[in-house]
Amino acid sequence: MYTKKLTTKQIILKILLYFVVIDICIFTLYPYFAMFCSALKSRAEIFSVNGTILPVEPMWSNFIDVWKRAPLAQYAINSLLIAGGSTLLAMLCGIPAAYALSRMKFKGKTAFLGFVIVSQMFAPVVLVIGIYKVMAVLGFTDSIVGLIFVNAAFNQAFTIWLLRGTFMSISPEMEQAATIDGCTRIQALIRILLPVAAPGIVTTLIFIFINAWNEYTVALTLISTDTSKPLTVGINIFNGYNMIEWQYLFAASLFAILPVVILFMGIEKNLTSGLTAGGVKG
Amino acid sequence: MNKKKFRKVEPYIWMAPSMILMGIFIIIPIFVILRMSLSKVTRAGIVKEFTGFDNFLKVIHTSAFPMVLKNTVVWTIVVVGLSTLLGFILALILNNKFKGRKIARAIIVFPWATTLVIQASVWKFIINTDYGTLNTLLKTLGIIEKNINWTPTAGAYFAWEIACGIFVTIPFVCFTVLSGLQSIDSTLYEAATVDGCNYWQKLFKITIPLVKPQLTISTILNIIYVFNSFPIIWTMTKGDPASKTDTIVTYLYKLAFYNGKKGEAAAVSVIGFLILLVCSSVYMISVLRKEED
Repeated sequence: MYTKKLTTKQIILKILLYFVVIDICIFTLYPYFAMFCSALKSRAEIFSVNGTILPVEPMWSNFIDVWKRAPLAQYAINSLLIAGGSTLLAMLCGIPAAYALSRMKFKGKTAFLGFVIVSQMFAPVVLVIGIYKVMAVLGFTDSIVGLIFVNAAFNQAFTIWLLRGTFMSISPEMEQAATIDGCTRIQALIRILLPVAAPGIVTTLIFIFINAWNEYTVALTLISTDTSKPLTVGINIFNGYNMIEWQYLFAASLFAILPVVILFMGIEKNLTSGLTAGGVKG
Repeated sequence: MNKKKFRKVEPYIWMAPSMILMGIFIIIPIFVILRMSLSKVTRAGIVKEFTGFDNFLKVIHTSAFPMVLKNTVVWTIVVVGLSTLLGFILALILNNKFKGRKIARAIIVFPWATTLVIQASVWKFIINTDYGTLNTLLKTLGIIEKNINWTPTAGAYFAWEIACGIFVTIPFVCFTVLSGLQSIDSTLYEAATVDGCNYWQKLFKITIPLVKPQLTISTILNIIYVFNSFPIIWTMTKGDPASKTDTIVTYLYKLAFYNGKKGEAAAVSVIGFLILLVCSSVYMISVLRKEED
C-alpha cells in the first residue's frame, strides 16, 4: 500500500539497499553452502582438480554413512549431556547469586560485581594449564563431569549479569507482599519472581547451552577417550593428519550446527538487549 | 541463630554456590598458574623448587616470542577494529525498513551461532589451492583460469585467519549496535531534517553519540574474546610454520601440551592475563561508574 509516491531517488536507494543486503546474505551463507555441497560429494569428486560447485552425483548416503563411520551418536549424546548439565549447574548457582545481587544490600557486593566482570576476561584457554591440574587433583580428567563444572563456572559471569539485569527490571513489591503473607524468600523467588522473569531466564538458559555445546578448547585438552568426546572435538576424527575426509567432516558438522543455529535465532533479540542493558545500565 | 544475625549472613549464603564454583574452577587455576610460572616444572607437570622469574626470562628470550606478541596485537586490533567498523555499517543497513528484514537478521546470526572449529575448517577447505571451492567458484564464473595459491606465505595464511575472525565477530557487533539504534527516538532525525542536516551530519551528530555505549561494550568484550580466541588459528595452521601464525594462546597451548614446557607456558599465561587485566580494568571502571549513577 503506497500512500505517497516514491521519488526516483528513493527507488534507487531501495534497490541499492536490497542489492547490498542480498550480497551480504549470500556472502554469509557461502561457507554453509560450500559445506552442504561438499558433504554431498564423493571423495574422488572433492579432491578432483576440475571440481564443480554443485555435486555432479549427489551422494545423500554420506549423511547416513557418517553415523557409521564414527561414533557420532555418542558424540551428540555427550554434547547434549555437557551442554545440558552445564546449563543446569550454571543456573542453579547463578539464580541465587543474581537474586542476592539484585535484591539485597551487603558488604562486598560491588567487589563481587567487579570480580564477575573481570572474570569474563579469563577464557578457559589462558587458564587451561591450571584447570588441567585442578581436574587431575579432583579426578575429573577425561570426564564429562569435569567439563560440566568448567563450562558452568566460565558461564557464571554471563548468567549472573543477564539474570541480575532481568531481576532488577522487575519490581520487588510482589515478593515483599508475599513475604509479609508468610512466604519464605525461597518460596517468593520460585513462585513469584521466576515466573515473571521467565523470558530472561529462557534467553540465559539457551545462551549457556549454546556456549557449552560449542566449547572446544577445554574438551580438547581434558578428554582423551574417544567415546567421551563432544561433537566439536569428536568430528575431527575425519580431520586426520594424513587424510581429511571432508565429505564426512562437513556432513557431521551440519548435524552439529543445525540445532544451535535454530535455537540462536529464537533468542538473538532478547540476548543482545540483555547483554547491553546489563552492561550499560547495570 | 537469631533473626538479625541471619539477615546479615543471608546474602552470602545465596552467593555461596556461585562463589564456590568460580573459586574452584577459575580462582584456584589462576593461583596454580602463578605458582607454576615461578617454579621449575617437570615435563609431567610436577611442580619443583621456586625459581623466581626464570620461566619469564626464558620465554622473553625465545626468538619466536616477539613475533608471537606482534601477531597477538595485530590479530586483536585488526579483527576487533574491522569487525566493529563492518558490524556498525551492517547495523545501519539493517536498521532500514525493508521486506525480508527478519530473514536477513536470521541469516546474519549464523556465524555467531556456529562453533568456531567448524567455521575454521570450512574456511581452510574453501581456500585450499588444489581443490578449494573458492578456486572452483572463480573458475566457473570465468574470473580466473588456473587455480590460485591463496596461501603462498605464512603471512597470507594469517591474513585468512584474520578474515575468518572478522567474519565470525561481525554479527555480535551488528546486533549489539542494532539494539542501540532501535532505541533512538526517530523524532530526533525528523527535527534534524527540518534543520537542514544531511545524512553525514545526522550520522556523526546523532547516531554515533547515541550508540556509543553499545559500541563501547561490544568493543571491550570483543577485545577479550578475540585476544583469547583459540580454535580458528588452531584449526587452520596450529600456529605453524615456526610460530609465524601463533598468538599467545596457541603458543602457550603448544608449550604446555606438545613441548612439555609447562613452567614456561604458565609464564606466557601470566603475561597474557596481565595484558588483558589492563584492558578489562578499563572496562570494569567504566561499567561500575555507570552503576553508581
